Amino acid sequence: MEDLSKLSLVEQINGLKSKKFSSIELTEFYLKRIDQEKVLNSFISLNENALKEAKKSDEKIAKNKSSSLEGIPIAHKDIFCIKDQKTTCGSKMLENFISPYSSTVYEKLSSSGTVNLGKTNMDEFAMGSSNETSFFGSVLNPIDPERVPGGSSGGSATAVAANLCSFATGTDTGGSIRQPAAFCGITGIKPTYGRVSRWGMIAFASSLDQGGIFAKNALDAALALENIAGFDEKDSTSINKKVPPFFNQAKSKDEEHVVGIPKKIIEDIKDDNVKNNFFESLDILKKSGVKVKEIDLKNIQYSLPVYYVIAPAECSANLSRYDGVRFGHRCENPKDLDDLYERSRAEGFGEEVKKRILIGTYCLSAGYYDAYYLKAQKIRNLIKQSFMDAFKEVSSIMMPTCANVSFKLNSIQNPVEMYEQDIYTIPANLAGLPAISIPSGKINKLPLGIQFIGNYLEEGNLLNLSNKFQQNSNFHNE
Amino acid sequence: MKISEEILNNISSLSKIKIDEKIKSDLIKDLESILKMVEEMNKIDTSGIEPMSHPLEEADNLRKDEATDEIKRDEYQKFAPQTDDGFYLTPKVIE
Amino acid sequence: MNNTWESVIGLEVHVQLSTESKIFSNAPTKFGQTQNSQASLVDLGLPGVLPVLNEKTIEMAIKFGCAINANISSKAIFARKNYFYPDLPKGYQISQLDDPIVGKGKISIEIDNKEKFIGITRAHLEEDAGKSLHDKYENLSAIDLNRAGTPLLEIVSEPDLRSAKEAVAYLKKIHSIITFLEISDGNMSQGSMRCDANVSIRKYGDKEFGNRTELKNINSFRFIEKAIDYEIARQIEIVENGGSICQETRLYDANKNETRSMRSKEHANDYRYFPDPDLIPIIISKEKIQEIEKSLPELPEQKIVRFIKDYKISEYESKNLNASRELSNFFEKVAKKISSPDLAAKWILGDLMAILNKNNSEIQDSKISSDDMINLLCKIEEGSLSGPGAKKIIELCWSSSESIDVLIKKEGLDEVKGEDELLKIITRILEDNSKQLEQYLNGKDKLFGFFVGQVMKETQGSADPKLVNKLLSKKLKQ
Repeated sequence: MEDLSKLSLVEQINGLKSKKFSSIELTEFYLKRIDQEKVLNSFISLNENALKEAKKSDEKIAKNKSSSLEGIPIAHKDIFCIKDQKTTCGSKMLENFISPYSSTVYEKLSSSGTVNLGKTNMDEFAMGSSNETSFFGSVLNPIDPERVPGGSSGGSATAVAANLCSFATGTDTGGSIRQPAAFCGITGIKPTYGRVSRWGMIAFASSLDQGGIFAKNALDAALALENIAGFDEKDSTSINKKVPPFFNQAKSKDEEHVVGIPKKIIEDIKDDNVKNNFFESLDILKKSGVKVKEIDLKNIQYSLPVYYVIAPAECSANLSRYDGVRFGHRCENPKDLDDLYERSRAEGFGEEVKKRILIGTYCLSAGYYDAYYLKAQKIRNLIKQSFMDAFKEVSSIMMPTCANVSFKLNSIQNPVEMYEQDIYTIPANLAGLPAISIPSGKINKLPLGIQFIGNYLEEGNLLNLSNKFQQNSNFHNE
Repeated sequence: MKISEEILNNISSLSKIKIDEKIKSDLIKDLESILKMVEEMNKIDTSGIEPMSHPLEEADNLRKDEATDEIKRDEYQKFAPQTDDGFYLTPKVIE
Repeated sequence: MNNTWESVIGLEVHVQLSTESKIFSNAPTKFGQTQNSQASLVDLGLPGVLPVLNEKTIEMAIKFGCAINANISSKAIFARKNYFYPDLPKGYQISQLDDPIVGKGKISIEIDNKEKFIGITRAHLEEDAGKSLHDKYENLSAIDLNRAGTPLLEIVSEPDLRSAKEAVAYLKKIHSIITFLEISDGNMSQGSMRCDANVSIRKYGDKEFGNRTELKNINSFRFIEKAIDYEIARQIEIVENGGSICQETRLYDANKNETRSMRSKEHANDYRYFPDPDLIPIIISKEKIQEIEKSLPELPEQKIVRFIKDYKISEYESKNLNASRELSNFFEKVAKKISSPDLAAKWILGDLMAILNKNNSEIQDSKISSDDMINLLCKIEEGSLSGPGAKKIIELCWSSSESIDVLIKKEGLDEVKGEDELLKIITRILEDNSKQLEQYLNGKDKLFGFFVGQVMKETQGSADPKLVNKLLSKKLKQ
């Protein structure tokens, strides 16, 4: 039998439809792969009903009643609630939490016919850039097991990179899809804030969190994204706009591109390899006929400090519900109510999560609110304005995804150094813009990514640009 | 910004997270280094700028007033640490 | 009470809005259901859930704003108020801080026959918390989250009230407005209307306010008066003895009629409000406000004037009949069906209110329906039932399941004696009491009442006293 993992999503769909192979065969293949690659620690839990779901899909295919992604085995970041399945968010706090309901993202993909293989490992509550903060252990980068896969959606990134699933869901608050996609050499897209419902997606920072997709290439990502996007009345921050056919848009020859190059940011890239890779990638785009224009993104250098006020502030409130009363970890023999709270939370949360709750609490507390929280909100506005000014001239903006290639496990101890991992990805979250990372080459076998940031609701344009790049390069197949 | 032990105790108490005495000094160091990075913000003048709390400015997503939620108490209490007779239980609260 | 000290009172009234479902979820809001049977995923604050605002709550808040001629905000903006408590599932309450939906307005009250205006600072929407039961288990508190998420309108007054009596008048006015608007059932015993009072004292003529104490959760008109009076007296005593008032929260104990300090928490007041990122501002259009303003039901003030005009009742009666929407509706229903509406006013405010008060009931729980009342009053009007007879029936009807007609028959009250028969009885009584008759004829006029009493006794109250009076005077003049 052919190597099913080499097939793109579109090829797998066609293979299933034409009955070249069944969903059960495809699912069994991936389950075997997952077992072979256990050491990567990509999954927190596996879905014991995966083969049953595959069987149902095969029956539907046999009856010609298949949905758009019928029988495709995928993986979900363990931040998405799935009814009757363990949903841990990478935390001891939710180690035993069996969700009584399902997230909209899961529901949509389920009704599209996908087979759920299991839930992928992640940084605890999506707080981290290396997947080292997971209560369930670090995930290893399949390209070099001594290195991190990036985070927070590290499990999903490795699952796609190591061919453990067809595609995977992820979430991105400050780069948690794009950075691991870059570190693992795959495609990852974070759509416009509000494009994908957050219902059932455990919150880290509500005004920044957005669900998205890891896939092998831009076309696969487009097809998958089509199936999770859309208005959801259960999410007040969901955008009530019709979802365009991303897949067709990605393939279209009519999309026009003027790619903005933020001059100052590119000049300031510290790592020469990253800088060179950026210009090589730019050449590929230019050769494919894309217009390029230098732009000035003012105040973008403040993104990191702004983010590290807003995200912790929002998380400090979002994580208050983990109090040991209705669900989640409870300490033993609490002597009074405060003891119950303080020990349950101290034991249930890991160090990074606690650090961020403390920072967020500090920034919102009496006497500090204006200097930190309000100040950050104002700069956030300026950053958004810079983007809006830029989009008057260009259709998208190109930047590196990361400042470096994947680093060794346990090699970064300083929190700020770790946070700096996300300097190129955070701006899109602050403004709520769609952004995609695609592989752009390797340095000593380690992948690098480039990132395109688009205007609101312009995912189709980004996917088209990415597809254009991938048609003129082969990094995504290496 | 210096984080005094008093400030640390205050935010620990506000956020209901017990902090081990042994790690306090390391934690303060980490928090201070994060705040130092954050205080880069002070380099920019933001007078007259409106704060932006959300990427989406306004919305009209409202819900109809209908009691349609199906409530499955027993199912929701399966994963609760301590319940009895449908109540959630906590150590006694003294008002 | 005291000529040196002026009391300054401001009230915060929490009104439960009478919606079908909760403010941010589709869970029902029924009162008195089994514990935790009305708390949905959203109300429990489970991981991944999101709030979506109930449109009805906005309409109700606007109604209130229009009724008190207040400014209505152009946006509904929600904020998180952070604190930990077991009956607050998310660890924060969704409330409003800046831009409350209802801005400054005023309410008129009548005190010692003079009109006084009380300023309304604001009224905002928020969610209610659940309930903690501390007496159910020996060493545990039991949490019932049925009430969590019930919509509240918090109405905050200016410190314009100067006595407990004024506070009660203000509260009654709020009660009548919300019930006439049908935005709340105003049922204080079920907690649909709860009140916190800020109380301070100062010397007459002083401009500065004294330190204030906050009295929590006072749930009846009677208790609010007692609690405030107690607190004022307590403060005066402290200050006159050279002490000073400590700014604190105090709980009113109805059983002991005293207020006591609530164990104040060190950080209780740093609520770290910030805009709720799960709820983006909802636009309230001018058209919407105008539409609601046009559809406002008739308010008490308007009804009082109309009743005086339409039903020829006194101002005093009209005011009392418009104390609540239910009472006002009850009266109007009856008044429309009988030929002299003032009779309805007298009976409803007299005997019916008396029995309601005796049984601690509200008009909506009255066992004597408006139809019963129409029946009784019609009989009085046509002369087939005497006043005392009707009085008796009202009392019997309260504790009986039998219909008015059956009760009248059973009591023999339908056999109202005719003139001839009454004359016979009168003649007999005068004969039997010749001594008294002689005294009467010699000028002891007071004995007239004695004869009436004897006749009524003889007829077991079924005689029309007016008729008895008429016949007796005639007979005695003979």
